[in-house]
Amino acid sequence: MRYLLYVFMFFILFPAAPSPAAAESSGPGPAAAAPQAADTRVSGDGTGTILLAENEGQKAPAMDPDEIDEDDEATDIQVADPLAPWNRMMYHFNDKLYFWLIKPVTRGYKTVFPSPVRKGVRNFFRNLTTPIRFVSSLLQGKVRRAGTEFARFVMNSTVGIAGFLDPAKMSGLNPPREDMGQALGSYGMGNGFYIVWPFLGPSTLRDSIGKVGDIFLDPVTYIDPMELSLGVYTYRGLNETSFKLGTYESLKNAAIEPYEALRDAYIQHRKKLVDE
Amino acid sequence: MKRFFFAMSLFLLILPAPARAQTPMAAVQGSIDRIISVLKEPRYRNPDARELQRAKISEIVREVFDFREMAQRTLARSWRKFTPRQQEEFTDIFHRFLEQTYLDKIQKDYHDQKVVYLEEKKLSSSKAVVKTKVIREDVETPINYRLLKKKGAWRVYDVTIEGVSLVKNYRSQFRKILVRKSPEQLIERLKRRIAEKKKKKEKEEGAS
Repeated sequence: MRYLLYVFMFFILFPAAPSPAAAESSGPGPAAAAPQAADTRVSGDGTGTILLAENEGQKAPAMDPDEIDEDDEATDIQVADPLAPWNRMMYHFNDKLYFWLIKPVTRGYKTVFPSPVRKGVRNFFRNLTTPIRFVSSLLQGKVRRAGTEFARFVMNSTVGIAGFLDPAKMSGLNPPREDMGQALGSYGMGNGFYIVWPFLGPSTLRDSIGKVGDIFLDPVTYIDPMELSLGVYTYRGLNETSFKLGTYESLKNAAIEPYEALRDAYIQHRKKLVDE
Repeated sequence: MKRFFFAMSLFLLILPAPARAQTPMAAVQGSIDRIISVLKEPRYRNPDARELQRAKISEIVREVFDFREMAQRTLARSWRKFTPRQQEEFTDIFHRFLEQTYLDKIQKDYHDQKVVYLEEKKLSSSKAVVKTKVIREDVETPINYRLLKKKGAWRVYDVTIEGVSLVKNYRSQFRKILVRKSPEQLIERLKRRIAEKKKKKEKEEGAS
């Protein structure tokens, strides 16, 4: 199992080698500034000044999508959808799964467990999955963000009683959550194509590969009997969903073509996360 | 005399300030604050006053949102395939659709959320983004407004929630529909959706 992890890490790290790829990651950024950012990333081995330079450099390619004037239809990110028939089927499957099973179960869970308990559970799992965000940050050259994740972990695991509380957030340590899909995106890897997984929902080729990385870095994966591991995964999903009830309904309610609306919302949202 | 000049200059300073020469931030903040105060007003608590409250909010929204610009942008290149009469009708129907969707939601889901106004960025002399976040309990939702300056007034033409632009999202849906369907059919489709939602809402209200 561990060897698999090493092999995978190598695979993840490999595309990092030709780093100018990062320069292509987000088109409209000033061309001159982008390679510079890639350079500092390569030489960034941890000292303060380089950190600063890296942070400044990053602004150029990784611009907030809202600051780029991209209203034009030509700039719309359209993802390829060669699996559309399968995806639509899975979309309907997930839709029914949500309304018939997930929603009623989550509602029940929500009424039994008050918000502070569920928040504690969420904090605990977020603390546990620090490796995902730590490694994803590092792979993107975001040394400072990785440092923040580490500091959060130390603080929340101790003062925060094994992660159930989040004192780090109150001290202003609340970085955006990174994952492997975003790391791949930051290397300039495109979405590939859109794919809807049963149970897991919308994804793309890139984000699915990223997800495999996330799973390897997730301590829950290594819980011994696989059944228990899957059980914990499911419970975590349930707890997470208890904070998001109503989101999917709103999206669907505002849509005219729900399948297209969800696909586009997923792609736009992921792009924002990659750009951050 | 000195005092007169002082008073005069004060007067001149105050006079042109409101209305026209507003900043994008002021346009957004002013409207949202007014909507929130309407939502909070106790006299609209009564279910019978809901319609009145909604009309009031709709009026404020209409002042600050540029629905024609919005409609045109959701259709993008297809806009030109619409006859002027169809453009008019589409704008009207799309406006009604958005109102029905989002005003219902605002009226139902407003529970003392706080709006934090973060910053205003000018993209050009006539384009700007106003960044805000809505906070409820410990959930923060970033909502950004894009504005266009027309005849001296800043008006919103797109809203981005968690990075998802409303205009782009509808554009992807309308694009799909217009591949096979005519402008007339798209308008019909929107009308049907409005009727469908109205029926659903009445059913929900009847049940509660």
